[in-house]
Amino acid sequence: MRSLLSRIGTLGIYGVALLLLAVGRLVSIDFLTVSNMLTVLNGVALLGIVASGMAFVTYSGHMADLSLPAIMAFSGIITVASLPLGLGLALLCGIAAGMSVGGLNGFVVGRFRANPILWTLAVAFFMEGFMRFTWSNNQVYPDITPGSAGHAFIGIFRSDIGPLPLIIVVMLLMLGIGQLIMTQTRFGRESRYIGSSRAAAETSGIHVPRVVMMNFLVAAFAASVAGIFITSMNKLGVFYLGQGYEFQAVTAVVIGGVMLSGGRGNMLGVLGGVLVIGLLTNIMTFMAITSFRQNIVTGIVFIVVVGLQQYRLRVGGRSDQ
Amino acid sequence: MERVSKQYPGTLAVDRVDFDVRSGEVHALMGENGAGKSTLMKMLAGSFDDYSGQIYVNGQPVELRSPAQSCDRSIGMVYQELSLAQPISIAENLLVGRLPTRGGGFIDRKALRREARRCLEQVGLAYLDPDTRVESISQHEAQLVEIAKVLGRNPSIVVMDEPTSALSREEVKRLFDMVRALRERGLAIIYISHHLSEIFELADRVTVMRDGKWVDTRSIGEVTPRSLVQMMVGETIEAFYHQREPKLGEVLLKVDRLTRHGFVHDISFELRAGEILGVAGLAGSGRSELARVLCGLDPTHAGDVLLDGTPLPPNDYPRAVANGLVYLSEDRKKEGLFLRLPISRNILSALTARHARLGLYRSGRDATIVAEQMKQLQVVATSSETEVGTLSGGNQQKVLLGKWLAQKPRVLILDEPSRGVDVGAKRLIHEAVIALADRGTAVLLLSSDLPELVGLSDRALILRNGHLIGELNKEQMREESVLLAANGEMGQ
Repeated sequence: MRSLLSRIGTLGIYGVALLLLAVGRLVSIDFLTVSNMLTVLNGVALLGIVASGMAFVTYSGHMADLSLPAIMAFSGIITVASLPLGLGLALLCGIAAGMSVGGLNGFVVGRFRANPILWTLAVAFFMEGFMRFTWSNNQVYPDITPGSAGHAFIGIFRSDIGPLPLIIVVMLLMLGIGQLIMTQTRFGRESRYIGSSRAAAETSGIHVPRVVMMNFLVAAFAASVAGIFITSMNKLGVFYLGQGYEFQAVTAVVIGGVMLSGGRGNMLGVLGGVLVIGLLTNIMTFMAITSFRQNIVTGIVFIVVVGLQQYRLRVGGRSDQ
Repeated sequence: MERVSKQYPGTLAVDRVDFDVRSGEVHALMGENGAGKSTLMKMLAGSFDDYSGQIYVNGQPVELRSPAQSCDRSIGMVYQELSLAQPISIAENLLVGRLPTRGGGFIDRKALRREARRCLEQVGLAYLDPDTRVESISQHEAQLVEIAKVLGRNPSIVVMDEPTSALSREEVKRLFDMVRALRERGLAIIYISHHLSEIFELADRVTVMRDGKWVDTRSIGEVTPRSLVQMMVGETIEAFYHQREPKLGEVLLKVDRLTRHGFVHDISFELRAGEILGVAGLAGSGRSELARVLCGLDPTHAGDVLLDGTPLPPNDYPRAVANGLVYLSEDRKKEGLFLRLPISRNILSALTARHARLGLYRSGRDATIVAEQMKQLQVVATSSETEVGTLSGGNQQKVLLGKWLAQKPRVLILDEPSRGVDVGAKRLIHEAVIALADRGTAVLLLSSDLPELVGLSDRALILRNGHLIGELNKEQMREESVLLAANGEMGQ
């Protein structure tokens, strides 16, 4: 009975997505077209990539990594700055730079049990200052003369694989691989145990600091990949790229059924959450609702979903005392 | 209190108990851990809104379903754990909830200090400044402040739950004088203690509880330490003697001068394959601390733990588990189990490393292992996917044990393996432990449950204040266990 309920819980988000498709169709004739659906996917691809990493932080009981936007910007800037080394090496440098921040987060939260929200908030603040200071508050431009590494770099966001843009393929790949990692690996299993009860995970012989570190590394990796795409899209690297993605990603993760308190959910649900956000945004755009008001709606959705989760926990929580 | 009962999920903590206390007497309440003493007293304190039975105060039937109702009936509780707020002044702690105010809700500092000083004088702490913060006074002073806080409300019934646990000999004497003075003033005092000597010094009558049931109420002149212990443990000591001839193998675990400052001092012993070694000692004797340091959950300052002659790296519990040295935590809800995960995931939780290859988890044997453990320990649940948090205490404890049995450990450290479980679950747990030892696992059994300890162990170590102060073999345990208990617990 319970497992049936939880299965509906995961599928439920797809029910919401279907509902939104119907609503969208009512709002506009042009809504349910292949090209508009591609627009929706394109619009949420960055979010999906960030969410695929954020999900691991939430799943393992650490709520959210608020430094992911800073990591996105940082990996983008470093990639652009390293372009003289060649595109491949530059991409590696960018991802390594982003992951080094994630490694620091994971180390401090895993070993010293820092509060993940406060710690990553501080890191985000620090990183912003660091980037502005180092690059003197300037944007960093790649050299985009045809044939150069920079030219190839800005092409990343604009390339297709078959009928689909590269970024959509990357998002689907990362969510898919994330699903496998979450359910089929030792790391994924141990993350769930830690998310359910860190103390019990410790007394089960799980190497908690190491696994927590990995969770933040995975999140930083995803954010770095997203950072490369967003930098490629903007054709420049700058400290504020990525702002707002932390909250949107947690929202997608949480409405996708990953409990904010950890230990529950999966990537399939996260994909559903990402799609719902994309559809919602798209419909609101069709209805000519400005982006500020869209933010208000996203905020309300988050509050309602978290409220429902907490309510369900409390109702089912007689076991806790 | 007439035929009062309190049901916890899975256990009947207090089962139709009759209890009375008269004004001007000290009535001692005794029983082993889990006998239901504290639950009975919590009923008086108004902690439960779902007890059954009837409580009378001064002959009037009363409802004590909230702490406020209990307070209104002039019932005061001195708890075992301190309930003082550390960063706040003594005065404010004493008068919390009834702070004297002047107009406009401002606190009347003068009245506050005067009233606080009056409370402190009652417990012989007149020398303390009421403005001192609680965190800067000593543990035993805090204990006395706690008592002052209760007396300050002028109760007519006072419950004291192990009030001497933090006090020195001298302070205990002062406390006793105080209790006697309160008795003279006509208060009714209910006194819970494990120390027989205190009971005989102080009490007028004594009531014994066992397994949630009332056993007997006698005046103190009618009982001896020996008869009291008999009442407390019942026939269970004999019943728990398992006829077992341990087949001892080679030394599996060697603990050499293990030390963690402030907790465990210079402890050495050996544990053989197939042996069940008991560890006895009062709360605070360092039992759990020893276990946690030994298996690597807590850091070590000195000494070695050798498994099969190879030293284990300190403070590396995952490594210890990988090598077959595992620890069953005493706190199943906080540390032992994942309450929100199903039974299956709990049983498999210590196997993630062993069942993984190149990082991939191989779930092939999962179902078999879970089914095997649930069957052996007779876990009662609708399915293996039932959330552990919804099970009864006994079944939770079985799942916790099953998690470690599934590991096929070589050394198993059990910390209070049957705390708060019913008799049936206890028996199953004991049988599983014996079967495990018979197959060659070395078992270290930490328990405050005397019959369990004496019944299961082949020999026992005695701890006090983190020091190893003695060792008993099976024969000595048989002869001396009652005596030890009579001495107010082992190792005292």
